[in-house]
Amino acid sequence: MDKLIVLLPALPLLSAVINALLPNNKRRRVARISIGSATITLLLAAMTLVEYLCVPQPTLVWLGVHWGSLYLDPLACIMTLGVASINLVVHVYSARYMAEESGYTRFYVLLDLMAAAILLMVTAGDLITLLLAWNLIGVLLYFLLGHDTRRATAQRYAFWTFFTYRLGDLPLILAAVLLVQAYHTLSLPLLFERIAAAPEAHTAFGLPLMTTAGLLIALAGFARSAQFPLHTWLPYTMEGPTPVSVLMHAGIVNAGGFLINLFAPVFVYAGDVLHLLFAVGLITALLGSVLMLTQNDVKKALGYSTMGQMGFMFVECGVGAFSLAIYHLIAHGLFKGTLFLSSGGVIGDARKHDGVPHDDVYTFVVERRPVASRLPWVAAAVITVVVPIAVLGLSHWLVGSHFVGQQGAVVLLFFGWVTGAQLLFATYRLRAESPWRTMAMVILSLVVVVAGYTLIAHAFDLFLYPDRALSARIFAAASIPLTTFEILVGILTLSIVSGWLATYYTNDKGDKRNDNPSELRLAFYSLVSREFYVADVYAWMNQVVLHLSRRLNVWARWV
Amino acid sequence: MLLFVALFLPLYPLSAVQNLILMRLRTPVARAALLLLWPQIGVALLYVLRLEIPAFVVIWALLSAAFYALRLLTVRDLRLWASLLSSSALALTWGLVAHGADIAQLSLFVIWLSLPAALLVLLTGPVVRRLGAAYAGLYAGIVEHQPRLAVILTAVVLCTVATPPFPGFFAMLDLLRDLSSAAALGVLGIWLIWGWSATRLLQGFVVASSSREIDAPDLGRGGMATYVVALFIFAAASLHFTGGGL
Repeated sequence: MDKLIVLLPALPLLSAVINALLPNNKRRRVARISIGSATITLLLAAMTLVEYLCVPQPTLVWLGVHWGSLYLDPLACIMTLGVASINLVVHVYSARYMAEESGYTRFYVLLDLMAAAILLMVTAGDLITLLLAWNLIGVLLYFLLGHDTRRATAQRYAFWTFFTYRLGDLPLILAAVLLVQAYHTLSLPLLFERIAAAPEAHTAFGLPLMTTAGLLIALAGFARSAQFPLHTWLPYTMEGPTPVSVLMHAGIVNAGGFLINLFAPVFVYAGDVLHLLFAVGLITALLGSVLMLTQNDVKKALGYSTMGQMGFMFVECGVGAFSLAIYHLIAHGLFKGTLFLSSGGVIGDARKHDGVPHDDVYTFVVERRPVASRLPWVAAAVITVVVPIAVLGLSHWLVGSHFVGQQGAVVLLFFGWVTGAQLLFATYRLRAESPWRTMAMVILSLVVVVAGYTLIAHAFDLFLYPDRALSARIFAAASIPLTTFEILVGILTLSIVSGWLATYYTNDKGDKRNDNPSELRLAFYSLVSREFYVADVYAWMNQVVLHLSRRLNVWARWV
Repeated sequence: MLLFVALFLPLYPLSAVQNLILMRLRTPVARAALLLLWPQIGVALLYVLRLEIPAFVVIWALLSAAFYALRLLTVRDLRLWASLLSSSALALTWGLVAHGADIAQLSLFVIWLSLPAALLVLLTGPVVRRLGAAYAGLYAGIVEHQPRLAVILTAVVLCTVATPPFPGFFAMLDLLRDLSSAAALGVLGIWLIWGWSATRLLQGFVVASSSREIDAPDLGRGGMATYVVALFIFAAASLHFTGGGL
């Protein structure tokens, strides 16, 4: 087991070194070495998971004296398997995709180094190893995103990413320093033991240490996972090669969720920070979704979609559903990776088929098919409001009848409810030859998906947090006073039900398009199209600092 | 006496002396030697004089380091960049001094931060011989024509701004552990600006296309190997001394 853990980051590192040192390297050989190493790494990751399932005992391996340790617990097992899988896909895809690009060997060397750094991060057993890997990922990503050295835009956005990542590195370093100063250990398992023994023994910056450390860790997560207002780099990283976009959107950007889970024993004593995570996540999810809807570039739309998903991931953390965030980041990684890798094909298809639906007369006269119809709006509205909450409620009740007592689980039910309702509304608007049958099939699919999702999420929770007391304490830390919570639930329920009824009513009466949008709508659109001016503010601040620097140099006469 | 030591462990405006001498020296080897030896004289003086360090010195050191870090952002001359970075980094030594660090710890801290700057100054020699001047933006995109030089330049610049796994990173962590929370915040801000200025410098040398044609040979394999071995030994030594293996 010990050797397997060490090999996980060591193999990609070895592959990078071999590829960098081999003289007169042929492209095919470079790809073969690198893909071979990625394949073995994936097999090793699978073996470590199987071994852990057979003997569920965390393993800590020390390579150095004070730091340099690797720790394999359920979180590390799951993450290594996820990372190694995506890494292999990216390696295989790049072999042909990058074949015409210059710097082929450099690309694979960087890709291997990145894999080594990410695997080191997810298996880090002490704070210095974690910081080292966390910092290296930012640096390597900068070079991967700026792989095309002749494109000024690629360089500019690679720099944005690097700077935001550095901004996020520093709070994590400060959190580590404060924790080491207080608890006198670098080892993560020992640190968490000492925190559990004396969580309120120290303060920093006038706050309890756990709150300060939790806040700093959250800030590091915000920068890495593109939370508002540190999100501007994410949609623009499409300037990098597509395999790097995949690696980033399917892997690196999820590091925030991993970090929050890693420091779960800190967040147990930092309930206020969990509320902040919820608020920031919610704002990010809303803004990411709004910005995604206004994009006309498929890759940029995917970028904003990732931002929205990262927001949801932080919402999950904010309500205490830490294991769900890990499930979310892996599921999101897989489907977003698929979307990116197939985005070129989608663009190609769109060029061949316009995708405009035929009108009713054409369908009836030329295609000789009956005209499509819709369900009665009242029936559809009732189904939309009732069915998703019933399906979600029942499936959650089946895996654990006590879930109603957990505020976090109830909040997540609301998100599931809105998503399910969105699906049924989209089905209602479809117009089909037999609308009842279509609706029934969609509801059946919803039942299968929700039941599967709930079961897997429950299994994930049991695997990642075998200590049920810790899981319950995280939920408790994320809770708010019961009366406030019940009032909020009431208001939300009322808003959702009345909102959907109003939507159906308006839709049925015919949504007459307003050709003269109001000033307010125009102002909102311009605000969204300029991406809320966040990037412009950063650009202005950048110029101010550079101007100050020039003035200082002139004043100090360059010495 | 304190002001005398501040000449060698540079605090603005006394730091101007080191920078002036460095700019006047003709050869890269002499400049590198100055960068390495000058702060060690400061450490030796501290050991001999056993000064009491007033609290304001740490604030002065932080302001001095921040002043030079800010200025780095718009410096394009590689030699001057290395010089100012060294002034910014070495000023931070006073944080350790105020905390009562012993001479070995101080001496190592100074080596971890001054050796990369010395290596960078040495590298200005090959850069000037090939490009005519070590000036960012003059000949951009050397990664296309001189990949070996580009790789070494990138590695050395990353080393100077305390990027892991180079020793500066561990030295900075060591320093942060010994500082108060407020001072640590200041040091982190300075570290952030170093990284920013490093990317600006690299973008002026390594990437982007240049309107000027570069017609010069790349760094030889031997030259590259020397730098790689030096950086490897440097990183390995730091891992050894910090207890991270090796």
